[in-house]
Amino acid sequence: MPASKLIFIFLLAGGAGFFALNVQRLVRYMRLGHAENRTDAPLTRLKNVLTIGIGQTKIFRDPIAGAMHATIFWGFMVLTAGTIEILIQGVFTGFSYALFLPRPVFQLYAFSQDVFALLVLGAIAFAFYRRLVLHPKRLEGDKLEHTDALIILSLIGGLMVTLLLTNACQYVLDPSAIGPEKAISRGLAMAIGAVDPQPVVAARVFWWLHVLLVLAFLNYLPYSKHLHVATSLINVFFSNTSGPGQKGVMRAMDLEADVEQFGASDVEHLTWKNLLDGYSCTECGRCTAACPANITGKPLSPRKIVINTRQRLMEKGPVVTGDRMEFLHPALLHGEGDDAGATTATEVLTEHRLLDTYITEEELWACTSCRACVQECPVSIDQLDIINEMRRNLVLSESRFPEEVQPAFESLERNGSPWAFSPADRANWAEGMDIPTMAEVVARGERPDVLFWVGCMGSFDDRAKKITVAFARILKACKINFAILGQEEHCHGDPARRLGNEYLYQMLAKDTIGTLDRYEVKTIVTSCPHCFHQLGNEFPQLGGNYEVIHHSTFIERLLQDARMPLQSGEGKGLTVAYHDSCYLGRYNDIYDAPRETLRRALPVVDLIEPKRTRDRGLCCGAGGGRMFMEERVGKRINVERTEELLATGAETIAVACPFCMTMISDGVKAAQSDVPVLDIAEVVAGQLVSS
Amino acid sequence: MKIAVCIKRTPDSESRFRIAASSASIDETGLKFDIDDFASYAVEVALQLNEKQGPGETVAYAVGPDAVQETLRKAMSMGVDRAVQLKTDAVPYDGLAVAKALAAELKSGGYDLILFGKHAFDTSAGIVGTATAELLGVSCVTAATKLDIANGRGTARRELEGVAEIVEFPLPAVVTIDEGIARPRYPSLKGIMSAKKKPLETRPAQLGNVRVTVKSMALPPDRPPGRIIGEGTAAVPELVRLLQTEAKVL
Ligand code: SF4
Ligand code: SF4
Repeated sequence: MPASKLIFIFLLAGGAGFFALNVQRLVRYMRLGHAENRTDAPLTRLKNVLTIGIGQTKIFRDPIAGAMHATIFWGFMVLTAGTIEILIQGVFTGFSYALFLPRPVFQLYAFSQDVFALLVLGAIAFAFYRRLVLHPKRLEGDKLEHTDALIILSLIGGLMVTLLLTNACQYVLDPSAIGPEKAISRGLAMAIGAVDPQPVVAARVFWWLHVLLVLAFLNYLPYSKHLHVATSLINVFFSNTSGPGQKGVMRAMDLEADVEQFGASDVEHLTWKNLLDGYSCTECGRCTAACPANITGKPLSPRKIVINTRQRLMEKGPVVTGDRMEFLHPALLHGEGDDAGATTATEVLTEHRLLDTYITEEELWACTSCRACVQECPVSIDQLDIINEMRRNLVLSESRFPEEVQPAFESLERNGSPWAFSPADRANWAEGMDIPTMAEVVARGERPDVLFWVGCMGSFDDRAKKITVAFARILKACKINFAILGQEEHCHGDPARRLGNEYLYQMLAKDTIGTLDRYEVKTIVTSCPHCFHQLGNEFPQLGGNYEVIHHSTFIERLLQDARMPLQSGEGKGLTVAYHDSCYLGRYNDIYDAPRETLRRALPVVDLIEPKRTRDRGLCCGAGGGRMFMEERVGKRINVERTEELLATGAETIAVACPFCMTMISDGVKAAQSDVPVLDIAEVVAGQLVSS
Repeated sequence: MKIAVCIKRTPDSESRFRIAASSASIDETGLKFDIDDFASYAVEVALQLNEKQGPGETVAYAVGPDAVQETLRKAMSMGVDRAVQLKTDAVPYDGLAVAKALAAELKSGGYDLILFGKHAFDTSAGIVGTATAELLGVSCVTAATKLDIANGRGTARRELEGVAEIVEFPLPAVVTIDEGIARPRYPSLKGIMSAKKKPLETRPAQLGNVRVTVKSMALPPDRPPGRIIGEGTAAVPELVRLLQTEAKVL
């Protein structure tokens, strides 16, 4: 065997071995996380890999960067076949897929190699231009990160150039080796042939360069954010598969378990999937660019949350697992925010942790749980899951939260609503409306078809009570056989859950399930998306199973069935901008029902969309318990959103959530505008015949 | 330091109160009870003092039926080390009787400091703390808004109308706590879990003679409903006129 071949085999084995060693280290760290089953629904997982992963669907949410990345990604998949061929050639001289592939297939393969090499080169050139000249805001990071990106781009560029040159030289040496499919290589060959008609040395040099670059690239990955090249498809496979209505459902939590730790203050309290998320983050910043808290100047960046998780794992992992490969240590260590810095092993274990050392309390409390980050992430990372788990630790283990939250917790405990209203006043809005309570109906030996769950906002907030009344009028006008719980209703605990207080949540939720089951409730309709999400999507965790319908869907159905006595006539044209509620939209995929409701109810309506809309809609700022906290830092989120809505020039702003109602109404006031903000139920009720 | 905190279980102040059929007590159905607000300040002060001063013990006491055990557990979930229930069928209205039961128990406890709320939300009498001090023969400071202990002596601040006074006193002492002194901590789940395992003793209360009882109760008259005079600047003259003639505040 010639020496060069031996050297090649040695290098190949060494390169692959070193990569495998690093992968094994990363897997060991990852296993510090909690166990969690992520193999259910294999078909959905496969579908996600094919669409989000291979199809790059989420990448394309940014069309220009998307096209660039997809070209490189697809090029990579295609060219890997070529690289494998070249590596095999290193061992078995003269090997070619042509030996066993049917001619046309091989021709297609050869053609694709050439074309994609060129396409990828083009995309790389654009990527360089983007990083060095355009400087998009979301790619801002530390210097290390920037260098990392440039190194990777150069490596890929080098791979493409050497590939093309190797092919071209081979063609010059043996024109029969490459068919007409590789037009680009043949073109290049003409140029090379003109300089050196026998490029034997050049052919070897380019081949070796290509091989060395492949091995360098492979082994650079574990030290770079480009590890995502290896993990992203795996990450997408294991990502949360929950479909509409199950998205954003918070992790179930066993409070009876005899554990010392509730929630997460360090990496080992997270699940292995949260940690894999850390490995998979491409640091693209799409999540942070969509984050309402970040946009308005709060200290929260979902990208940082994920990167910090990885940083901390890289710091703690080696110490806890007794990794002897200390010299390989800084794999993936670079990150965002204050670097924890080099320290002794004892310091790493006793003085550092994910919370406080890397992620501050302020960041965690700034989150509105709007899911915009999760929606945007091209590799299906769940940033919110980490935030929620860390909030749980703050409240359940350390009792740390903004001062304003305590009255909300106490009021939930004592009055069954986050505000200090008397439970006796809960159904005051219904006075004189002749609306039966569940207790009354059941006492008559009857059962209503639906339960109208009013919610705390709808029961106590003066503005929201008008929405409640409007919706009740619609139900009555359509002769729906419904009842309310009246004073027997109390908060289901969702605000407590979002604020990390799982204990209080479960207390309230179990109590609510008791009441609902006692009346054998089957169908619930509610005008609050938070109640809708909680009762319908999260109650099953605690054994409460009901059909829950949001009023937008309910009204849309009534309109569809023409069950509503609406005023006829032309009416005057109205332009309306509808603001998407996060818990209706991104949590439950309900985007069309409220819009359709407006279209059907109003004789002449012109729906105009704000800049950020539907699944990109900007949060009003109230979610995640932010409603109960002061907003002291940066611009107010509701003002930012309202300005966007007002900029559409709409005559009316429509909402479908009492929390959005408060926030947007305040925003309109702040903007000194007099554009009315109406709930879709109020718009529809205004069109009822009797009114 | 060894600190005792005497706490009371009272209904939530946001409740809509009704008078029971007997007309001598409130109707408790549907009411949510919790540790009295002033008592929770006292618990917080006790915990902070012991946290600051190093090893010590904080013990909570409550007089009443078994329902007060929940209140004592709440105090323990905040961080109190153990609790004692002085069992009675009902909490007597007579503060002196309650004070006698507490004093009998606290006498041999060896406490450096005994804390109470300034008064309880339900009776607003403020008798039990002072009476206990008297029965134990120790110094007593009421309505403290700040409390420091050093070298066996205490310093307390008291807010009066228009002036604040700083008082000094020797230990042992009884101090009753006013609001605003500290924000009572919210029990963590960890705290709640460990409270379940902390010792809670129950002993019969040795109440003194109950001499004062409630004869009857009445609700305050309904507030007259608000009135909307008009909107915008046009309504101002009428508003001013009414404020002068009817409300007589201008
Ligand atoms: S859920 Fe919304 S507010 Fe929270 S980090 Fe993600 S984008 Fe930001
Ligand atoms: S979490 Fe996802 S969206 Fe955010 S920076 Fe990482 S890869 Fe990009």
